[in-house]
Amino acid sequence: MADLAHGKPGAGAALSGGHGAASRRDFLTIAGNAIAAVGAACVAWPFIDSMNPSADVLAAGAPVDIDLSHVQPGQQIVVLWRSRPIFIVNRTPDLLKTLQDTKDISLLSDPDSDVLQQPGYAKNWNRSIQPQYLVLVGICTHLGCIPSFMPQANSVSPGWLGGYFCPCHGSRYDLSGRVYSGVPAPYNLPVPPYRFVSKTVIRIGENPPDGGDFSLDSIEQI
Amino acid sequence: MSGTPSTVRTNNRLVKWIDTRLPIFSFMQDAAMDYPEPRNLNYWWNFGSLAGIMLVIMIVTGIFLAMQYTPHVDHAFNSVERLMRDVNYGWLLRYLHMNGASFFFIVVYIHIFRGYYYGSYKEPRELLWMLGVLILLLMMATAFFGYVLPWGQMSYWGATVITNLFTAIPVIGNPIHTWLLGGFAVDNPTLNRFFSLHYLLPFVIAGVVGLHLIALRQHGSNNPLGIAVKGPQDQIPFHPYYTIKDMFGLGVFLIIYAIFVFELPNALGDPQNYIQANPLQTPSEIVPEWYLLPFYAILRSIPDKLIGVLAMFAAIFILFLLPWLDTSRVRSSYFRPIHKWVFWLLVIDVVALGTVGAHRPEGAYIVVGRIATFYYFLHFIVLLPLIGWFERPLPLPESIAAAVTKKSGVPSASAQPGAAE
Amino acid sequence: MMRLATIAALGAALMFSPAAFAQEEIEAPHQDWSFAGVFGTFDRGSLQRGFQVYNEVCSNCHSMKLLHYRDLGPDGPGGGIGFSDAEVAAIAAQKQVEDGPNDQGEMFRRPGKPQDAFVSPFPNEQAARAANGGAAPPDLSVIVKARGKGLEYLWGEGGPDYVYGILNGFTDAPKGFALPQGKMYNTYFPGHAISMPPPLADSTVKFQDGTKATLAQEAHDVATFLTWAAEPYMEDRKQTGAKAILFLLAMTGVLYGAKRKVWKDVH
Repeated sequence: MADLAHGKPGAGAALSGGHGAASRRDFLTIAGNAIAAVGAACVAWPFIDSMNPSADVLAAGAPVDIDLSHVQPGQQIVVLWRSRPIFIVNRTPDLLKTLQDTKDISLLSDPDSDVLQQPGYAKNWNRSIQPQYLVLVGICTHLGCIPSFMPQANSVSPGWLGGYFCPCHGSRYDLSGRVYSGVPAPYNLPVPPYRFVSKTVIRIGENPPDGGDFSLDSIEQI
Repeated sequence: MSGTPSTVRTNNRLVKWIDTRLPIFSFMQDAAMDYPEPRNLNYWWNFGSLAGIMLVIMIVTGIFLAMQYTPHVDHAFNSVERLMRDVNYGWLLRYLHMNGASFFFIVVYIHIFRGYYYGSYKEPRELLWMLGVLILLLMMATAFFGYVLPWGQMSYWGATVITNLFTAIPVIGNPIHTWLLGGFAVDNPTLNRFFSLHYLLPFVIAGVVGLHLIALRQHGSNNPLGIAVKGPQDQIPFHPYYTIKDMFGLGVFLIIYAIFVFELPNALGDPQNYIQANPLQTPSEIVPEWYLLPFYAILRSIPDKLIGVLAMFAAIFILFLLPWLDTSRVRSSYFRPIHKWVFWLLVIDVVALGTVGAHRPEGAYIVVGRIATFYYFLHFIVLLPLIGWFERPLPLPESIAAAVTKKSGVPSASAQPGAAE
Repeated sequence: MMRLATIAALGAALMFSPAAFAQEEIEAPHQDWSFAGVFGTFDRGSLQRGFQVYNEVCSNCHSMKLLHYRDLGPDGPGGGIGFSDAEVAAIAAQKQVEDGPNDQGEMFRRPGKPQDAFVSPFPNEQAARAANGGAAPPDLSVIVKARGKGLEYLWGEGGPDYVYGILNGFTDAPKGFALPQGKMYNTYFPGHAISMPPPLADSTVKFQDGTKATLAQEAHDVATFLTWAAEPYMEDRKQTGAKAILFLLAMTGVLYGAKRKVWKDVH
């Protein structure tokens, strides 16, 4: 815009008054509008950001300690962490055996836990730190219902070895939270960050000292 | 394609396609760009659009605050403090809203005094004016409900005092009072319904603002000379002339608003409201927010409960009658040598009432309060009709264009009215 | 003239708003505060000393229910008062917090965590009143905002002056002043008869950073801490405001130029 006002000396002299004024006005209008647009964008951010989790909500998501000593073999307890149900199962050797049933493994969608749905220290055949204790976020990866704990064989269908069954849309998981093929849920149940602070107490929400910086924010889907 | 082709000025085919079917673009073009306005509107005419912008700011900040607020007597105070401490930018939203109320009233009061000075309520704009007074009433109600929500001491006791006004009504006063509160004193049911109404009323205001604008467009804006537009030579299109002028005015306004929000956020509030409501302890002095003080002063100046309440409401309702109380044939006070000064008497009177309202009713404040209350009603009921009859207005210019172009003789109407004095 | 009147009206409105106390009162003298003014910031050393005074002295009677231990750390509003996460955890762990119910349905006490609110000295207001001769010590979370008045209040500085004044204002009652039983005389307390005995004196605390703990120093530091507690986001607010106002000035300047240009051909 500015070079229009300059141009060749002499040739534009007759026009320069009107032309220069017009371009100056255009420039000011455009500049004014641009600044106002930037201002509007800056104003929008506090409003958007105010809807993000607030400091108290984030603080309430601090790690929680759970004492496992009273969880009976074969029993599941559910605790709340960050307003989400966390499943903790004391798996008996019999239940653990089902996880290595080759016929059953062939029915799983992601038997080796390749999709990032668990911390590195739980990417193994039993998806846990100590095989005895399973720790899962109890939210179906389909549409967020809470799957039912169905450890009894044949309790869901003939040949059922025990696992989780989501009552909403029929998604099925085995006893390590691995999803079966052919159900609506796309991914294995997530494993939250956790560590053992003593033999029988786990801390949910904190990685083991050498466990990296896994967080649920980074997984494929909760 | 049959029907009227789109009149929108654009080469964008999508815009034309939409506009032919849903003429929003041509409506905007007619209403906000081509719309002819008198060419001599001064900066006092900025306050109408500023008021509209304040309404939007209040609604938007209010909606986001409501996402964080808990309308329960046990949690309201803490939820407000929580939102200022823990919510991202919560302090900004709250201070924008809290100071926004004050600035909304500043803008609207200036807008009203402008309308009064330039006779903008006179025929044929009576309904335009009355809708404006209705907006003021709704704003007062909204502000009152909103002030209760933080559940501080002044919230609680302000609500108690104002709702007790209704007990002045003979016979049915007490049942109405109980019905309004949903209990025997201000308590959780009261807080809940006030929150509901505080959320509702701004949208009612927005609706009345719509009617206000329809009424405005029917006869167009008044202007500082108060004479009718005679032809295109008196007018200029809204865009770019008044869009840029409004934008500039908005910039100035936002600077002052920002100074208060960021640097003096509690200056216009009452420290007592940072003490949680305590139904067992009345603060030593109960004052409403500053924008209600003149009316509060009228209430207290009259030593009779019922008459005091009636006088307070009459002070607002009398504004509805202004178009008929003013008997002058001339609109603008610019050409009214006596009324011009009486106008300023009223301004001083209202400021005096505000001062009285802020102080305990004792000593000189009682005397000043009574005189000011007396003058307030005298002004509207006696002086205004009489001056209209006896005053000899100055000669009016032939047209707006004549007055604007002729710099000698009649001064330029776009100059400040006070500057010539 | 209309403009002048508007400014006068606005000015008048400003002067009216802070409520005056009914009783005869003497305004506490103005102090220098590092957080005063447009570019004021909190002195972290003073905040930490002030917290120590609150924690060791005031908190025996006064609650601060709106604050959490996490507020003191780096993730707190306005960046906290300069404690690290470990220091905050240690401070919180010294407190006993009631929690529960547990699986047996019983409430239990456990060491505090950073996300806990400041522990109150009394379980409820009745207990506070009963333990303090009928006058419940007020919560101190926003006391600075609740006590400000006068012109300083406009700048957010009246409250700390008052707190400082009260802590330094204990004297013998003047002759002829009828001091009620169990009350103390305080120059800056409205009505002068205050229920709180003088809480601070020289060396009431021993500052960890070696600062000499005079009464004036303790009062100054705790007033600073209470100001932070009432508005922990104050630095953020003022700094954001400075930027916003500068931006608006630039925008308005450009708009004024544009307005002049547009209107040139009308005049």
